Formats: sequence, C-alpha cells, structure tokens
Amino acid sequence: MIQVQNIQKTYNLTKQQKKELQTTAPSINAVNNISFECKPGRVYSLLGPNGAGKTTTLRMMSTILKPTSGDIVIGGESVTQNPDRVRAKIGFLTGSTNLYDRLSPGEIVDYFGALHNMDKATLARRKDELFTKMGIHDFSKKRIGQMSTGMKQKVSIARSMIHDPEVVIFDEPTSGLDVITANSIIELIKDCKLAQKTVIFSSHIMSEVDLLCDDLAIIAKGDLIYNSTMDEFRKSYSDRSLTEAFISIVQSHGQPANV
Amino acid sequence: MHTIITVIKKELIDTLRDRRTLISAIIMPALLLPIMLYGFTKLSNTIMKKEEEKKLKVAMLDAPAAFAATFDTARYELLTDVTIEEGRDAILADSLDAMVAFVDGYITKVSNAGTGKVNMWYKSTNISVKDRLSTIIDDYEETLLDARIVDLSLTKEAINPIELYKYDIAPKKEQLGKLAGGILPYLFIIFCFTGCMYPGLDLITGEKERGTIETLLTVPASRFKILLGKVITIALVGLAAAVMTILGLVAALKLLPDIPADLLETISNIIQFKYVMMLFVMIIPLSFFFAGMISAMVVRAKSFKEAQSILTPISFVIIMPALIGMMPGIELTWTTAAIPILNIALATKEIVAGTINMGHYFFIVATLCVIAIVAVYVSYKQFSKEGMVLK
Repeated sequence: MIQVQNIQKTYNLTKQQKKELQTTAPSINAVNNISFECKPGRVYSLLGPNGAGKTTTLRMMSTILKPTSGDIVIGGESVTQNPDRVRAKIGFLTGSTNLYDRLSPGEIVDYFGALHNMDKATLARRKDELFTKMGIHDFSKKRIGQMSTGMKQKVSIARSMIHDPEVVIFDEPTSGLDVITANSIIELIKDCKLAQKTVIFSSHIMSEVDLLCDDLAIIAKGDLIYNSTMDEFRKSYSDRSLTEAFISIVQSHGQPANV
Repeated sequence: MHTIITVIKKELIDTLRDRRTLISAIIMPALLLPIMLYGFTKLSNTIMKKEEEKKLKVAMLDAPAAFAATFDTARYELLTDVTIEEGRDAILADSLDAMVAFVDGYITKVSNAGTGKVNMWYKSTNISVKDRLSTIIDDYEETLLDARIVDLSLTKEAINPIELYKYDIAPKKEQLGKLAGGILPYLFIIFCFTGCMYPGLDLITGEKERGTIETLLTVPASRFKILLGKVITIALVGLAAAVMTILGLVAALKLLPDIPADLLETISNIIQFKYVMMLFVMIIPLSFFFAGMISAMVVRAKSFKEAQSILTPISFVIIMPALIGMMPGIELTWTTAAIPILNIALATKEIVAGTINMGHYFFIVATLCVIAIVAVYVSYKQFSKEGMVLK
C-alpha cells in the first residue's frame, strides 16, 4: 500500500536557473500538494507530459528525494520518518538498463542482496529462482559490458526484485527499449500484480497503460489533475481514444501534452 | 560494518577490473621509476662514453710545439691554418669543436717567468669539449711550473703554503636523505593523488554518469556507509599507488647496475622495517585525505569530462607543497609540520636521513588524520545533498 499525503517538492532557484526559466520567482514547485493511494494487487499508473513531476514523485516515494512538505506512507512506514525501513520494502526500476559494466549478473545481484541485508541462503535461493525464471543462468558469469540491452534489462529486473519487495516502483520502465525487451517489463508488472504486490509506474505509452493499469492519475505542472480507476476513465472518455482523452485532460489544464 | 565491507568488496572488484585504474595506480608507479632511472643512467653513460671517445677537431693558433705535441693524434685533429674569425664561425657552425689561441708574446712572457695569455673558444652545449681541453692545458701548465721550480731552485712545498684536506663527515644516509628524500615524497604524493583520482571519478561521478546511483540510493543502507565504503576503496588504491612508487624506487636502486656498494648498503639501511612503517603510517591518512577531497569535489560533476576538468587544476595545487619541500633551506619545524603535504614531504626527507624529531612526526600524523577526517566529512555532506548526487 502506498499513501501519498499532500506532498510538495520545492526547489530554490539559482540566478542561472532563473535566467534559464525566464522567471523572477525565488523557487519552483516540481510537485504541488498531491495525494493519492495505490493498493496491493493493483497496478497504478502515473501519467503526464515531460516535466510534469512524475519522476520527482516516484523519487520521493523511493526515498531518493525528500518531500518539502507532506508525507508518503509505504507499507505502514513513512518516507520522511523511516526512509531505511521504506527502502527495505520497495523495488525501484527504470527503463535505462544502467548497471556496472565490469561486473557479472551474479556479482551485481549478490551486491544488492547484501545491501538489502539478505542472509546468504535466502539470497542464493532467491537469485536461483529469478535467474531460472528469466534465463539469466546462461550468461550469469558474463560481464555486463558484453551484454545486449535485453540481457541487461533482465539483470536490472533481478537486481530490483532480489529482496522480494512488497511495493514496486517503475519509472518509465519501457522507455527506449525495443518491443521484446519492453515485453519482459510488462510481464514483470503482471506477475507483481498476481503476487498481490503494490505496483506504481509512470509512462507515456497509452497502450501499456490500457493493458496493465487498474488505477491512474494524470499530473501536469506538478498538479494532480485526474485520479480515478481505469474503468472509470474508459467510461468517461468512451467517445475517443485513450491518447486523445489524455491530451484533452492535460490541455484543459493549460499545458500542451507531449505524447 | 556489513554494508561498508560489502561496498568495499564490490568496488575493489570493479576497480581492479578497470585497466585505466590498474595502469595509473599499480603499473605506472611501480615501473616508471625503474624504467626512468635505468634509461637515464644508460643514456647518460652512453652519451658520456661517446663524447669521451669522440675525435675533436681543434684549431691551434700560435701554439708552442711542446704544447701541440701533448695531443693524442688518435683523439684530436689539430688545425693551424685558421684565423680567429674563421675559427669562431666554424665552431658556431659545428664544423670545429674548439679553438685555442696563444696570445702574441706568449713565449717571451713565459720564458721570462711571466704569465702568458691563452684564449679558448668552445660551445658549452658540446658536452666534455671544455673539460677535455682544460685538462690538457692544466697538464701543460703543470710541466711549465715544474720547470720553473727547478730553475728557481724552489720546492713544490715552497709555492704551496697551505694544503687543504676536506672531510665530509655527514653520514651517507643523511646525504642520501637530502637527495632521495626530496624526490621520493614528491613522487609518491603525485602517484597517491593520481591513484585516488581514477577510482574517485569512477566510483562517484561514474555512478551518476552510468545512472546507477538512483538504484543504489534505494537500498536500505545509510548513505554515509555507502560513501565510506567508496572512500575507503579510493584511499586503498591511492595507498597502493604510493607504496608501489616506493617499492619501484627501491627495486630500481637495488637492481640497477653501476651503483656503488656503499650506496647500496646505505639504501638497505634506509629500507628498514621501522622507517618503512613510519612512511606507511603517514601515507594512510594522506590517501584518505585525497580520497575524501576528490570525492567531495567530483560529486557535483555530471560527467567524467567535467570531473576531470575539476581535478586537473587541483593536481597542480597538490604538487606545489611537494615541490617546496624539495627546495633547500626549507626545514621541518612546528610551523611547516602543520602544513599538509609540505609536512609529509619534509618528514620523509628526515625519516630517510634518520634525523626525524618524533614530536614533529606524531604531530604530522595527527594533522594528516584531522584533515583526512574533515575531507571525508565534507564529502559525506556533499554526497547527502539531493542536488549533488542526482544528474
């Protein structure tokens, strides 16, 4: 369960940033007082144009950033009060398959397992399960630098899921990936849902959202401008495609949508 | 502790697989000095031998026959039919090595127990020409002097009222300390810094550039422990580089030919466990200081390129105190002992010479420890800032 409670993220602007943004304001709100809830066994999708505040919201959830005000409670733990306990409950994955080039999949997964304080036996068992399921055993001793993007993405998934997190946060997980590699992420999200995990992901791709999500929120310019179930969304905008519906919601908030 | 060890283990594996780090931190420091020393000795010996054996072309103007006869014709070609202007031009054009002119009235003056004037033209850029000719002229002067002593019925002692004997009682170890003690810290300080530089770039900026930092920050381990694991790894590589520099120098001095036996004995005397340990104890906090400082500085960089442009000027700042430490007249005092890097340079000189004041030594180690702790703390503060660690 994720409970986002009136979170706000404010950045103070330097002179250079004010010049670049052509503003005289001393600060800017990347996320502006938003609240929503993601439930276990359901997939929650966060939509929004570039720069809307999706990544900032997900980074606050995953404790990489601290909210300026408000709080996020994940599995009963507050990101502001007990960030370490929150980190133990979450898995975080992005579309960029960034790993350590000189290490092997086995070494990377062992490293993250150890950082999650997993005992050796549990780590070995869990690693074997994940490697078998995703076919990583075949290249588990090969260095990351010598791997294809597809192989790397499988390792990224294993790394993020090694500690069997109850909440999984995906930041544009399929962005920049080919169809086959992107499909492994879609399958992972489906599996997480079946395993009654709480899943939140940000995306631009409406077909993915349509396929996977149970609940959705749209944010623009840091504001939450739509929050409902996917069924409700489909019903409300049955006269047009999902992409058209998304664009019209964003544009009604006064911002061109980049889809 | 578990987190710190996990991070160190992973970072060491990762770092030691990086060819660039291996070359800059292990191979270069270990091999550079032996290769440089061997190459330099070999080259200078070859050049000196070649210069000594070279047949010199010398113009001889108005020279007494007895002087010209002292030249070995196998090693010298003597020319007489040359004017002073022609001779000077020929020396400048490198078609002549030197010219010796006995000034008008030389023979008369010398025959009358006077002083005759001899001019010599040469190019100081031609190594050994001046020395070779000066030796011949000195020998000739000696024979003239001997003849005069006999003519005047004097003894050699009569014209040498003082015979000076000089005894340098500075122990060999101290002499070497002033010499090797100056260059040694300069080298290991530089290699320690460059040794920390590449892993620093890779472990701190590299995480940002590769985009791996975000996932790392979502693990339930404290950022301080993660950073400390990284800083320890960086410091270990810097330490290895400094130690390899010292080992490289020792190996070079031990293995190189043409090193006198007494010098070898002195070197063996210096490489005693106690002195090596004293150097080692100073290099540990120095490595941590470099590791902390480099981490604090590169954490803001978004790319390797940016990080390198931040660190390059710093490497010059690091070299300056080490260079000052090589200058004569700069001694280890309570004031210089408080200046980081300069203090380690001066202390190394004293340790090698065996003249270190233990009060100064412990003060230096304490100073280095304090600045190392401050550097690591500053790097932690930087690493904790959201804006710094995220791209």
